[in-house]
Amino acid sequence: MKGDIENIRNIGISAHIDSGKTTLTERILFYTKRIHAIHDVRGKDGVGATMDSMELEKERGITIASAATFCEWNNHEINIIDTPGHVDFTIEVERSLRVLDGAVLVLCSVGGVQSQSITVDQQMKRYRVPRIAFINKCDRSGANPARVIRQLREKLGHNAVAMQIPIGLEGEHQGVVDLVTMKGLTFEGAHGEAVNSGPIPEELLDEAREKREELLDAVSIFSDELTEAILEEKEIEERLIYEAIRKGTLTRELTPVFMGSAYKNKGVQPLLDGVARFLPCPRDVRNEGLDMAHDEAPVELVADPKAPVVALAFKLEEGQYGQLTYIRVYQGSLSKGDTVINVRTGNKVKIGRLVRMHADQMEDIESIQAGFIGALFGVDCASGDTFVAPGLNISMTSMYVPDPVISLAIVPKDNNAQMNIAKALNRFVKEDPTFRSFVDDETGETIIEGMGELHLEVYVERMRREYKAEVKTGAPRVRYRETITQLAEFDYIHKKQTGGAGQFGRVAGWIEPVPGEEFVFENKVTGGAIPTQYIPAVEKGFKECMAKGPKMEYPVTGVKVVLNDGASHSVDSSDMAFKAAAKGAFREVYGRAKPVIHEPIMKVVVETPNEFQGSVMGSLNQRRGLIVGSQDEGVMSVIEAEIPLSEMFGYSTVLRSLTQGKAQFTMEFATYREVPKFIAEELAKKAAETKQHVA
Amino acid sequence: MLKKDLILRNPLKLIGTDEALLQSGAFCAVTARAGVGKTAFLVQIALYNQLRGKNVLHISLTDPVRKVDLWYREVFRRLSEKYRVQPMDHLWEEILPHRFIMTFRVEGFSAPILEERLNNLSEQGIFSPRLIIIDGLPFDKDLGPQLSGLKQFCRENDFQVWFTVRTHRHEDPGPDGVPVPLAPVFDLFDVVLQLQPEGQEIHVNALKGANSDTKELSILLDPSTMLLLDS
Repeated sequence: MKGDIENIRNIGISAHIDSGKTTLTERILFYTKRIHAIHDVRGKDGVGATMDSMELEKERGITIASAATFCEWNNHEINIIDTPGHVDFTIEVERSLRVLDGAVLVLCSVGGVQSQSITVDQQMKRYRVPRIAFINKCDRSGANPARVIRQLREKLGHNAVAMQIPIGLEGEHQGVVDLVTMKGLTFEGAHGEAVNSGPIPEELLDEAREKREELLDAVSIFSDELTEAILEEKEIEERLIYEAIRKGTLTRELTPVFMGSAYKNKGVQPLLDGVARFLPCPRDVRNEGLDMAHDEAPVELVADPKAPVVALAFKLEEGQYGQLTYIRVYQGSLSKGDTVINVRTGNKVKIGRLVRMHADQMEDIESIQAGFIGALFGVDCASGDTFVAPGLNISMTSMYVPDPVISLAIVPKDNNAQMNIAKALNRFVKEDPTFRSFVDDETGETIIEGMGELHLEVYVERMRREYKAEVKTGAPRVRYRETITQLAEFDYIHKKQTGGAGQFGRVAGWIEPVPGEEFVFENKVTGGAIPTQYIPAVEKGFKECMAKGPKMEYPVTGVKVVLNDGASHSVDSSDMAFKAAAKGAFREVYGRAKPVIHEPIMKVVVETPNEFQGSVMGSLNQRRGLIVGSQDEGVMSVIEAEIPLSEMFGYSTVLRSLTQGKAQFTMEFATYREVPKFIAEELAKKAAETKQHVA
Repeated sequence: MLKKDLILRNPLKLIGTDEALLQSGAFCAVTARAGVGKTAFLVQIALYNQLRGKNVLHISLTDPVRKVDLWYREVFRRLSEKYRVQPMDHLWEEILPHRFIMTFRVEGFSAPILEERLNNLSEQGIFSPRLIIIDGLPFDKDLGPQLSGLKQFCRENDFQVWFTVRTHRHEDPGPDGVPVPLAPVFDLFDVVLQLQPEGQEIHVNALKGANSDTKELSILLDPSTMLLLDS
C-alpha cells in the first residue's frame, strides 16, 4: 500500500431516498477520475427516470455502489463504502456503518431533514460516526439551504454550521461562497470540472461576512489559538479555522455544512476538500473488538501494522471470478500467504489473492494494513466473520443474532428460476445472518425469513434482478412465539416394554417463566436419582420441545426447566429413554403452565404534515397500535407508535393514500408481546384448519 | 407486591391532592429550580393515576417523546424495584395504554391547538385524558390570557392539570413565599407545591391548597432515586 494512514478516508454517503446520492457519488467518481463520463439518473428521454441506480450501474459496466469504491483526491485515498439505502433493521446496515470512519450526510435543499434521514442519522450517532453535511439540489425550485441547516440543528440535534452560502438559488444557482477563504466559487466546463475562484459577488458580501462571523463564533470554541486571533482582531489564518473545524467534527460536536447541486455539477469539489480536511483518518477513530474468551468484553484495537491482525469481512460480492470478500483491517496487516483464523468457525484460512477495488477495475496488492480496506478472493466465509492472527480470539461483531420476525413462502415461476433461487439464497444467507431460508417439510415450500416486510422485499427483488429468478410470493407470515406464564410441576415416567430391551426413565421438577431468555436448564438432582450421564439427554429432550410448542406449534421461548428428582433402571435406562421422558414431561406439564402466544411488536415512526395528523393517528389506532406520542415540529408532526407486525402489512399504501403521499414511516422490531385473546383464538382456528388441510 | 398495594403505598395521598378533592379544571403546580426533580415528581403523579386506570396526557415543551417515555420507564423501574413489584413487565404493559405523550415547541403550544388535538383524539376514540401534565411552559413570559383560556377548556372537559414551574436561584420569592414567575397567575392555581432542597433531602412544601395548613408536608423526594417517600 502506498498510502500514509493519515491520508486515508473510509467514508459512507448516507442519504434520504431521492436526495441525489447516486448523482453525487457519480460526480465524485468523475472528478476523482475514476469514471470518464457522466450519465443522468433521469435521462431526458424519460428512460432513466424509471431505472434504479443498480440497473443503471450494470448497464454502464461499473459498480458505483459496490461495497467499497476507491478514489483519490488531493493526495488522499478515499474509500466510499456503500451504506444500504433501506432502513429496515438489518445487520447489514449496522455492519456497513461499523466500517466507516466518517460520513457525508446528503440532504435535499427542498425536502430537508425527513424521517429516513433521522433514522440513518441515529444509527450513525450510535456508531459515533463524525459527519459533514451536503445540501444538494440547490438548483431546485423551493431550495432553501438555511432552512435545512436549521432542521439539522432542531431535528437532528447537530451543531450544524454553514461552510458556504449559495450564489443564487433555484434556476439562478451559480456556485458557492467559501466562508473560510472568502472567495466565490463557480464551476465551469462541460461537467463543472473547472473550479473558478473569484471575488464574492457584491450583493452577497454582507451576508457572507455575517455568516463567516457565525462560523468563526461556532468553531472558535475548539481552538484557543483561533479564539485569541479573533479577540486580538489579527489576520486569521485559514489553517487555524480548518484545524478548529476538524477538531469539532472529529469529536462530533460540529457538523460543517456544504452545499451545491450535484446534478448541475456545482459544489462537489469543495465537498471533497471537506472530506479530506475534516473527516477522520482510521487512526483518529477508536475501534473495539469483542474478546470472545471473556464474555464479549470490549478490547481496544490499535491501528498498528505490526500488531497481530484483526480484520472484518463486511460484505460479500459475487464477481466474475468467484466470491469477493471485502475486508477492513483494524489491527496489524494482512499479507498474501498469511494464515489467519476465522473466529466464528475456528477454521484456518490461507490468504491467496488480495485486491483493491476501483470503480471499474481491480488492482492486485501484496498486503492490507490497519485502517485500510481491500478484498480477498477465494475465501469461503460469511459476511460479518472476523479473521485474526493465530492465538487471538477477538470478534468484531457480536455472535448474537436476533431471530427473524416474519416469513414468506416463495415459489419459482419456472425451472430456470428454481436453480437460480438456490444460488441466490445460498449467497444471501451468507451475507446476512438475519435472513434465513429453509424448506417447509409439511408443505414443501421454500420459506424465507427476515426482520421486516421490506427486508424480505429487498431480497425478493435482488433474486429477480441479480439472479434472474422470477418468484411468486405468498402472504407474509408473522413469526409468533409461545411462552408460559406460571410455574407448573412435572413428574413423568417413560416406560416401554415391548419385547427386547425396555425403556425406563423418570423425571421430576418444574417449569417456570424466565423472561428475556430463550431456554434455561437447571439440574438440582441429588443423590444420583438420575445418573449424571443421563442429565444431558434430559436437557436435550426439553430443548428439542422448544422448537415447536404443543399449543400452536410456534417456537417456545422464556422457559426455565428445573430438574430435581427422577429414577432410573439399571438395564432399561438409556439416553434415548430419558430424552423421551423429558419430551413426555414437557407435553404433559405445558398446558398447566398457562401457555400464551406472543407476537412481534414493531416501533413505528410516522412523519406527516400536521393536517394529516388526525387521520394518521386513526390509521395507527385501527391497527391495534399503541400510540406512544406525537411530536409537533412546526408544519410536520412525528407520531411514534408500537404496533403488532401482523397489522402493518401493506401500511405504506394506506399511508400514501391517506396523506397524498406526503407522509413517510419507518419501522423496526421493538419487542414481543402477548396477543389479545381474540387474536389467539383466531390463530388457533387457523392452525387447526391448516392441520386438517395438511392431513 | 401487587398493583393494589402499590397504589396504597402511594405517598402522594399525603399531599391531599386527590382528584376527588379538586374541582374540575383544577390547576396544580410544582415549583423548583432546574434539576431538583419537578419532572420526576409529576411522572410519579402520572404513574399513580395510570395505576388507578386514569388516562394521563403528558405534554412536554422541552423534551422529545422518546425522552419523556424514558422518564416514565426509569421512574417506574425504580418504583417497581423499591416495592418489589413482580412481574414488572406485565404491570408496565397494563398501564401503558393509559398514557399519551404530546410534545410541542414552546411557540407552537396554545389552548386552541391543544383543544384541536384532544378533540381529534377523543372523536376517534384514541385517547381521552383525565389528568394533563404540562412540563416546560415558560412562566417568565406573560401567560395570563393563555392560562385563562386553558383553564376554561379544562373546566369544561373536567381535566385536572399539573404544571412544572421553574424558579431561579437569583430571584427571591415574594413576601407570601410565592415564586416570582408564578406570582402573576397565582390566582388561577388551586394547589402549588414547592420542592425545596435542604441538605441531603428535598422537602415538599405546600404553598397553596393541599394540606397547606401544615406548610411542610410529611413527604420527601429522595435525590438519589427521585422517588417520593413518607418522611
